[in-house]
Amino acid sequence: MPIIVNLDVMMAKRKMSLNELSEKVELTLSNLSILKTGKAKAIRFSTLEAVCKALDCQPGDILEYVPE
Amino acid sequence: MSKKNNLLFKGLIIIAWIIFIGLCIEAGGLIVNFIFSLYNPEFIQNLYQKLDLSELYNRSNWDFFRIYSFILIISMMKAYLFYIVIRLLSKLNLEKPFNSFVSKQITRISYYTFSIGLLSFLARQTVKSLPNSGYEIDQLNQFWADSQAYILMAAVIYVIATIFAKGVELQNENDLTV
Repeated sequence: MPIIVNLDVMMAKRKMSLNELSEKVELTLSNLSILKTGKAKAIRFSTLEAVCKALDCQPGDILEYVPE
Repeated sequence: MSKKNNLLFKGLIIIAWIIFIGLCIEAGGLIVNFIFSLYNPEFIQNLYQKLDLSELYNRSNWDFFRIYSFILIISMMKAYLFYIVIRLLSKLNLEKPFNSFVSKQITRISYYTFSIGLLSFLARQTVKSLPNSGYEIDQLNQFWADSQAYILMAAVIYVIATIFAKGVELQNENDLTV
């Protein structure tokens, strides 16, 4: 899929673990893992908002479009 | 899942088991009769449920085996069809019904139903086209009287299976939405 999820990059920049992020955004570890590994087919605005808030970033920092 | 649905499904499983056992007895009886008739042709006068195909056997062995093969295959396929129905009903989870197992089973049911309908139709046409058909073919009708019903049922089940496959896709997509 040409949409790349850079969640791991942002987490590394903020030095935040998956457990910590999971607690802050109130998502299960398995769902966050699905998002992080790029297996997710869609992301809710509410989830994106929570992630952006927790990582103090913009949606563009997490999602990237790379043409195939 | 409501209590009414739960009760209904338990009832359906029991009915499916009863039909399955009945069809297994029929198929088993026919197979045993067939094996006996191979070694002792006198047995053909009194096959399963007083079916008498001795006239057909005396006129043409080939016709007898052809017709009897149809009877055997159709009855075995009916029994297997209900085996699939039982597996589906016993593994179906009404809380989360959209999974690949259920979708595959419904598709298989539609294929088997269609095959039974088609074979029943072919068998009926074969019996009709037998030369000098002075045989008692009425007693054979019980095995393939409902061919059109099976074909219609197969079409309806196939539509349901296609919708179900789409439902599984949507469920997967929903599961992968975070």
